[in-house]
Amino acid sequence: MEDILKLLGGAAATMLLAFVVGATYGGLVRKIIARTQNRVGPPWYQNFVDISKLYMKDTAVHHGVMQHIGPAFAITASVTVLMFVPVLREGGWFPWFENLNFKGDIIFLIYMMVFGSLGMALGIGQTGNPNASIGVSRGLSMMVGYEIPFVLSLVSVMVQTHTTSITGLMEWQTQNGWLMFEAPFAFITMLLAILGMFHYAPFDIAHAPSEIASGPPSEFGGKYLAMMMTSGSIFAFAKLVFLVDVFMNGASNLVMLVVKTLLLYMVPVLYGAVSPRYRTEQAIRYLWGWPVFFGIIALIYSIYI
Amino acid sequence: MGGAILAYLAKRITPMLSSIVSFLAISSAAVVFFTMTSSTDVVTVSVRNFTLQFGLNAYSWVFAAMVMGISALVSLYNIAYMSGKDRLGYFNLNFTLAIMSMMGIVFANDWISFFIFWEIMTWSSFLIVVYNGIDEGKIGTKYMIFSAVGGYAMLMAIVITNSQIDSFLIADLINAYPTFGHGMQAMIGILFLIGFSVKAAVMPLHVWAPRAYSDSPMSFTAIFSGLLSKMGIFGMAIMFISVFSKASIGDTFIYSQVIAWLGGVTAVMATFYAVIQKDAKRLLAYSSIAQLGYIVTGLAIGTKLSVMSALFLAVIHALYKGILFMAVGAVERQAGSTNLEQLGALIRKMPWTFFSALIAAIALAGIPPLGGFVGKWMLYESMITSTNPSHLFLVILIFLSSTAAFLYVYRLLFGLFLGQEEPEWDHVKEAPAPMVIPMVLMALTLILLGYAPGLLFEPIANGMEFLGFENVGWQMSSLSNIWGDTVDMQYVWGSVVTLFVLGAIFITIKNRKSTRYVTTKDIHTSGEIPEAHENLTYAVDFYKPFERAIEPVMRKTMDFYYNHFGNGLESLFGFVRKIYTGNGQTYAMYVVIFLVILLLIGEQIFK
Amino acid sequence: MVVSPVHFIAVPLLAAFLMPILAKVNKNLLRIVPGIVLTYLGYVSVVLMNRVATEGTIIEVLAGWSAPWGINLVYTPFTGFLATLMIAMSFLIWLYSFKFKKVDDEPALKYFILQLMLTTGSVGLVLTGDIFNFFVFMEIIALSSYALTAFYRDRNGAEAAFKYLLIGAFASTLFLLAIVLLYSQVGTLNMAEISVRMHDVPTSMKVSILVLFLVGIGIEAEMFPLNGWAPDAYSQAPSPVGVAFAALVVKAGVYGLVRITYTLFGIEGSGIGPFLIIMGGITLVMAEITALKQTSLKRMLAYSSIGQMGFVLIAFGIGTHEAVFGAIFLMFNHAIIKGLLFMSGSYLVYNTPNKEIKYLSGYGMKMPVISLFFSLGALAIVGLPPFAGFWSKLYILLAAADGALYGLIALILVVSIIEIVYYFRVVGRLYFGKPAEGSIMRKPTVGGMIAMSILAIAILVVGFYPDIITGYIDAAASSILNTDEYIKNALGAVNELTPVENIIQ
Repeated sequence: MEDILKLLGGAAATMLLAFVVGATYGGLVRKIIARTQNRVGPPWYQNFVDISKLYMKDTAVHHGVMQHIGPAFAITASVTVLMFVPVLREGGWFPWFENLNFKGDIIFLIYMMVFGSLGMALGIGQTGNPNASIGVSRGLSMMVGYEIPFVLSLVSVMVQTHTTSITGLMEWQTQNGWLMFEAPFAFITMLLAILGMFHYAPFDIAHAPSEIASGPPSEFGGKYLAMMMTSGSIFAFAKLVFLVDVFMNGASNLVMLVVKTLLLYMVPVLYGAVSPRYRTEQAIRYLWGWPVFFGIIALIYSIYI
Repeated sequence: MGGAILAYLAKRITPMLSSIVSFLAISSAAVVFFTMTSSTDVVTVSVRNFTLQFGLNAYSWVFAAMVMGISALVSLYNIAYMSGKDRLGYFNLNFTLAIMSMMGIVFANDWISFFIFWEIMTWSSFLIVVYNGIDEGKIGTKYMIFSAVGGYAMLMAIVITNSQIDSFLIADLINAYPTFGHGMQAMIGILFLIGFSVKAAVMPLHVWAPRAYSDSPMSFTAIFSGLLSKMGIFGMAIMFISVFSKASIGDTFIYSQVIAWLGGVTAVMATFYAVIQKDAKRLLAYSSIAQLGYIVTGLAIGTKLSVMSALFLAVIHALYKGILFMAVGAVERQAGSTNLEQLGALIRKMPWTFFSALIAAIALAGIPPLGGFVGKWMLYESMITSTNPSHLFLVILIFLSSTAAFLYVYRLLFGLFLGQEEPEWDHVKEAPAPMVIPMVLMALTLILLGYAPGLLFEPIANGMEFLGFENVGWQMSSLSNIWGDTVDMQYVWGSVVTLFVLGAIFITIKNRKSTRYVTTKDIHTSGEIPEAHENLTYAVDFYKPFERAIEPVMRKTMDFYYNHFGNGLESLFGFVRKIYTGNGQTYAMYVVIFLVILLLIGEQIFK
Repeated sequence: MVVSPVHFIAVPLLAAFLMPILAKVNKNLLRIVPGIVLTYLGYVSVVLMNRVATEGTIIEVLAGWSAPWGINLVYTPFTGFLATLMIAMSFLIWLYSFKFKKVDDEPALKYFILQLMLTTGSVGLVLTGDIFNFFVFMEIIALSSYALTAFYRDRNGAEAAFKYLLIGAFASTLFLLAIVLLYSQVGTLNMAEISVRMHDVPTSMKVSILVLFLVGIGIEAEMFPLNGWAPDAYSQAPSPVGVAFAALVVKAGVYGLVRITYTLFGIEGSGIGPFLIIMGGITLVMAEITALKQTSLKRMLAYSSIGQMGFVLIAFGIGTHEAVFGAIFLMFNHAIIKGLLFMSGSYLVYNTPNKEIKYLSGYGMKMPVISLFFSLGALAIVGLPPFAGFWSKLYILLAAADGALYGLIALILVVSIIEIVYYFRVVGRLYFGKPAEGSIMRKPTVGGMIAMSILAIAILVVGFYPDIITGYIDAAASSILNTDEYIKNALGAVNELTPVENIIQ
């Protein structure tokens, strides 16, 4: 009984942490991009304000059951991914922390990550809003683009370390050093892949705020949008933690975690801040170009190292 | 067992005059099958100087159970789907024959009965493919040509085998194969593989499949794609696991590499084609080819995990592709169209169909926690942990294919069930119960297999041990690879379902009173309000950008080359045929010339 | 009454000559008499088949005439099997054509007489034990065939008959020449006797005789390139005659080829085997390719027939027991299947211009039973299990594999694919084309339906339970392969009556 409580408590705490950090990052990004573009920008806590406001609003309409449960799909995916990623290395200062990682592995996480997008996409599809559907079409197409280098990178890491679980990877790194240096090509590939993955410019055609009215979420409001934003914050954090775990041996305390994730996060953000926008097919071709090239080198490297 | 088989045969060969009779026959056969599974009798029928043997083993049990279970359900669906159509007797006779012949194939202990049932399966399915009468010359002929190539390649292998070992028994070939010379091993191996590859629609022998799948009545396509193609897998598994692995060339058997890569390429290309289809049936047809590509790859890699994943996927694919084809069939019957660009928003009219299709689509995409994920996971892990570097590159192909599969899965669900509601489809009602029940049952099976895949692992592991693996380990709900990494499906299933239910409850309870349903015409469109007849659904050329991105690899299809080859042959034949001029004098001259030539060279020919 | 092989020839001949008189008595008699005759012969052949099975070969020498001039009938399991098959097929053809030319008795009389002659000739050719009578029967077949081909007295019929006549004349001349040469060398016309004395003939002479025989009989057996007459004859003759050609004439031709090569010259080590394989292969390929390009259903069936004969030649060329078994099985299958195809096919194209396939769209709905028969035949002839054609193909392939002739197997199978294409094209069109408007269907006669049903049932029964027939075929195959046995039986019987040796010396 106590174990279950510990587990549930840990899960709740992790979720809260993920939400807070994720939302903060979201605010920071908005600020950074604004500053890059010589604007003042919103304060860092703007996302909290937005989400709270949305939760408090009454929601008037929906277009059917699929739209209704779409955000539930999204939050399920985000939280599940978070649950299966070790947020802190064992022996960290979070004494009652536990996670489920030993029950899942990287392949599982890769699949879990798309669960939410697909569920959301179905919800969006039911709204019948053309902008939303266009966004879905672009988003899914681009997903095929960035998944390939992403998976190439992860596969080469897995081959190099002979394990497919994240805890296994972290143990390996504790002994042999960070994979960021041990598997440099895989890391480069990953950096290129996450440019696409986080949907910042130049890979932001799926949302394209000025063109298709933010695309996918355009028909969602109130509690639906609030839930989507919450889910998005958690998901961004979960993804970052996952990458930090894989390439930088995780973190042993919260400070290190924040530093590492933020550093990694700055790559797509800063690159995006100064980039124009690719069209979908350009984005796909870009992602299947150099990133895949580096990915293949990474794979060869991992086989023959 | 023997009596049962004969009873099935006798019962089913009689012409079925209605779908109900066919359903009763199949389901009673299924009941007989499932209640007497443990018996291991062998039935022999002797024909002149050889004997035909029928029997059941642990391996064929997997396929027999799959065939019986799914075809019983599909034949229930068939009752409603086919009602009101022409020539039911004709259709149901072939429908039942095809299912019967699949049972014959899996029961066969010798190659002759294997081949007999194989060919019955081919022609009965041919007669169904042409049933709808769409472009009958091209599609049917193409299907028949490719099936004939495959079937005859197999027949050639069979007779050559017999000339070597003087036996038709499958078991004897397995034992004798290592003693053959290399050339003989290669010839028999390749011929058999060609035979099986055609049915499994492996590139480049797949061109018959898209149209044949999509133009058959859907109740049969569920069988066609789900089960019939698995007969190719059935044979291939025997070849790869039992036959080749014992050969002297053993593990380095180059053909398994080639086939593995062909499977991978098939998966990718067929997926790309599926993405750009405009018709739900065609989309699913290409998707079937792609999914079979995975299975073939899994078999060809040949490790314990990959073979298990291939067999697992074979069963799962039969389930989810069965559901999807049935769902599309239901839509076709209720709405009269399967065009993804025209249909839309059937979710409110056909909720149960949508539910089944959704579950099947999630399983197809391989998203946890359903059964599809289990198979995919094992396939990836088996490739990543493989010692052969080429498999590591192959994994990228497979991954590309399954990621792109999300695209068409979404397109399918979106095109049929989502989008704006149009007055044109207002008349559509949910399909009748006999159609819905099988779909929902199969969908629930998929969910169950996500929670406890061990239910399926057990027979598969037994079958694999029969085929020649030792100590095939499995757990009820935990997956593990050879590096010792595991995924615990109970936790996954539990957390996903719990979170989903919590999320759904939360979102439903909050502001439940004030949130109401509005039609899909009432949307945010920058102030403009679309009229009822205006369709804003973005459905035409849905993946145009993606199409542009992959355009370089799509320019030339395999069809193109085959057509050129065919045209070349046609003109050659046209030339040859001119020898028969229709002129009596010419014929007389042939006789004289022939006589003279023979007289001149006769002594050299005849000693 | 004691039955004997001689009834096979005497009864139908007598009937044929009596028919004009009988027709005067009652014009229905001319339709009924052939049936009675053939039923009786069917009874005779069944009795004899059983006797052969228990007692061995039956030799019949016509009283008063001594060998080698007398008509000497040798009823072995092989010849008996073929004779029975021919009688059975003739009976079915009679059933099928019972109402032929119902309104007009004059052509009907001719038709029935000629059909009976054709039967007599074919059966006689198979049963006869000496080479000259062989020639005589060949001529009986040929003459009645010419007449039947030109039966309709139209331009096409006449042209076809002329072609047939032209080529047929070659056949007769060459064959006769061969007999003359042979007689000059061995001094006997009894085939068993010839076979014994063949060793003494100088090689060059032997080869010349062989070549003449091959070409002469090859014309009847539709061997490439001697088969130009066949498609025209098949397609222009009345439809029952097409069946008769496929079931009787060609079979007789193939029988002749086999008897001459196997018994007279001996197949082993003589180079005849490979020659037959090669010629059979070429015949097969050429015929099937040409069939693929045909637009007329009957011509397509005709070329397909030629192709099947090529296949039979291949099997006889391989020459092992298994192969010969397959070949005889195939002859049997071809008779019943092609019979069914011609019978149902002629109903299908009865009213279509030029008998073109393209007008057959959607006939499956209008003539369901006939279409079903045709489809059954098509499935069976391309050798798809579980129909009769599969087993014969399988046995021939097995024999080829035993002889390590892998290229040949591949060739046969590739050709089978071509065969599948053109047959399934028709089947597909029958069932799934859009029905053309306004074409009048011809209702099949009761006799025709019975005949076709019997054939269809035979195809299914043999397909599902081949053992029903394999015993007879096995015996037949042993009998044709065992030349010594043949010689011993034939000569033994002859010697009891007239000492051949003495006559010749």
